[in-house]
Amino acid sequence: MAAAEARASMDGFGAGRLLLITVALLFLGLFLVLPLLAVFVQALAKGAGAYVAAIQDPMAWSAVKLTLGVAAIAVPVNLVFGVAAAWAIAKFEFRGKSTLITLIDLPFAVSPVIAGLMFILLFGSHGWFGDYLREYHIRVVFAVPGIVLATVFVTFPFIARELIPVMQAQGKDDEETALSLGASGWQTFWRVTLPNIRWGLMYGVLLCNARAMGEFGAVSVVSGHIRGLTNTMPLHVEILYNEYNYAAAFAVASLLALLALLTLAGKGFLEWRQPELRHAAHQARDRTRRENP
Amino acid sequence: MSIALRGIGKQFGEFAAVKSIDLDVPTGALIALLGPSGCGKTTLLRIIAGLEIPDEGQVLFDGRDATLWPIRDRNVGFVFQHYALFRHMSVFENVAFGLKIKPRRERPAAAVLRKKVHSLLELVQLGWAGDRYPAQLSGGQRQRVALARALAVGPDVLLLDEPFGALDSQVRHELRRWLRRLHDELHFTSIFVTHDQQEAIEVADTIVVLNRGRIEQSGVPSEVYDLPTSAFVHRFLGQVNELPVKVQDGRAYVGPLDIGSAAAPPLDAANSIALIRPHEIEIGPETSGWPAVVVAVRVIGPIVRLELCAEGQSASELLEAEISRERYEGERFNVGQKVGLRFRRWQVYPVSDAAA
Repeated sequence: MAAAEARASMDGFGAGRLLLITVALLFLGLFLVLPLLAVFVQALAKGAGAYVAAIQDPMAWSAVKLTLGVAAIAVPVNLVFGVAAAWAIAKFEFRGKSTLITLIDLPFAVSPVIAGLMFILLFGSHGWFGDYLREYHIRVVFAVPGIVLATVFVTFPFIARELIPVMQAQGKDDEETALSLGASGWQTFWRVTLPNIRWGLMYGVLLCNARAMGEFGAVSVVSGHIRGLTNTMPLHVEILYNEYNYAAAFAVASLLALLALLTLAGKGFLEWRQPELRHAAHQARDRTRRENP
Repeated sequence: MSIALRGIGKQFGEFAAVKSIDLDVPTGALIALLGPSGCGKTTLLRIIAGLEIPDEGQVLFDGRDATLWPIRDRNVGFVFQHYALFRHMSVFENVAFGLKIKPRRERPAAAVLRKKVHSLLELVQLGWAGDRYPAQLSGGQRQRVALARALAVGPDVLLLDEPFGALDSQVRHELRRWLRRLHDELHFTSIFVTHDQQEAIEVADTIVVLNRGRIEQSGVPSEVYDLPTSAFVHRFLGQVNELPVKVQDGRAYVGPLDIGSAAAPPLDAANSIALIRPHEIEIGPETSGWPAVVVAVRVIGPIVRLELCAEGQSASELLEAEISRERYEGERFNVGQKVGLRFRRWQVYPVSDAAA
């Protein structure tokens, strides 16, 4: 009797589960898979020849290089900053800590367009540092340095935000143990802290990288849209689109999407390679075996 | 290595965690810092380890001022309540950590290191577990790995912060005895923090009872248990019955009843309290002392606990007495039975002290 009731309630639970899974999959299909497919379909609408031509266009190619280059600078910069900030916030008590946490969220709070304008205000020809920069012939705005700055600004919360909860949950015990065993601060960081946070770190880097490559608003304001010089991939896509060159626009867009898929695949590969993740799976099995031999 | 604390004080913001602590730990001692949570025992341990810097006072290692030495130069082993094993390393790598990070000149050769780690794992009875990861071990096994790891670098002092607090009672009991044996074999100086009075009594040579950042009393376990110098220590080191008493002409009275002579130091005549441990209540025939009625009987393995309602006491002021199982089997106290109580040993404290 009791068993039958339990089964009945399980069935109710099962129906709910089915419903949830269906809703999630439908949503995923409608909002993620379908648009992604549309990008690739549009890109190949005029045939593979047009696709290859659009990608081989020197302007498109320089946009790809610029985008990868900017990400290659912005991600490491934010990696260092993110780890340092998360470390400070999670492991130490100091005055102004809550202010620092709020400041880290600032780029999420302001519109990217405002972020871009901010740099124009600082480094533009009429900006605060404009005269100084002109004197030394340094170009920031409407040049690559401006794009890098804007990208760093917009993407800097990703890694810190990802790491702070991870590091807070782990506490200081591991680090203190390492120190008591004679490790230096540097050894402790490389051998204990970093391995402990690497999953959060990797996820943060992936998000940061995706946004760095995809950023439009802030970069659009500071770039000046000089083809072949300051056009990143998203900007290039927009220009092609505005010129009614749909096939080319979507071809470049598909490249951008492909880069995103590649980073995701990289994450999956790394997870699969990690030995102790498999150990963790084994462990559950081992324990049940030990307890119910 | 002997350790001495001189006038140690530490504040966290407004909160004074420890206040003017003086303590001497001779070489080879096994000392328990005992107290309720928030009494400052962990702060004190962390100050000795070098994980906290005291605001005032000195930490002396073998007479040398070590107050500002960084933790890595103190040669102390530190064991945490939650083990703090490096989860991405195997058990072997965990234990080898302290040896592998030594500067090249001091680092043992690979074969020597392997041998040393294996012998340590044997010592903690985990010779089979070298290739396992911490997540695959039980709590007790993890704590033994943590101990082996701390011992690998040959510390002069072993500091343990509630080392068995996260374990279930059977494993805890085993590990206590094992730690005691290990200490006797290896002769390092050990200090451990606990809030469990039984653990402190079972394991330590010396118990240091802390309350509100100060040392209340220290001494060998039996002395602290039998001759507490304050109501706090009396209460903290075991069960007690509390009775408000009046002291008059050297005699203590509960209500009109004369319970015996109060040899204690000058007391506030009207506001005193007597603390009596359950096993120090003598139960006799109805006429032999303070009349009482047995309210409940509970057999707990080798002892039997009786709840008693003494004459003139309300139902919420029950006394607890403990007698041996053998005696219970012989005399059979039943619920409702009338008995007479006498107190073998008891101590009177002023109420102001008892409230602390």
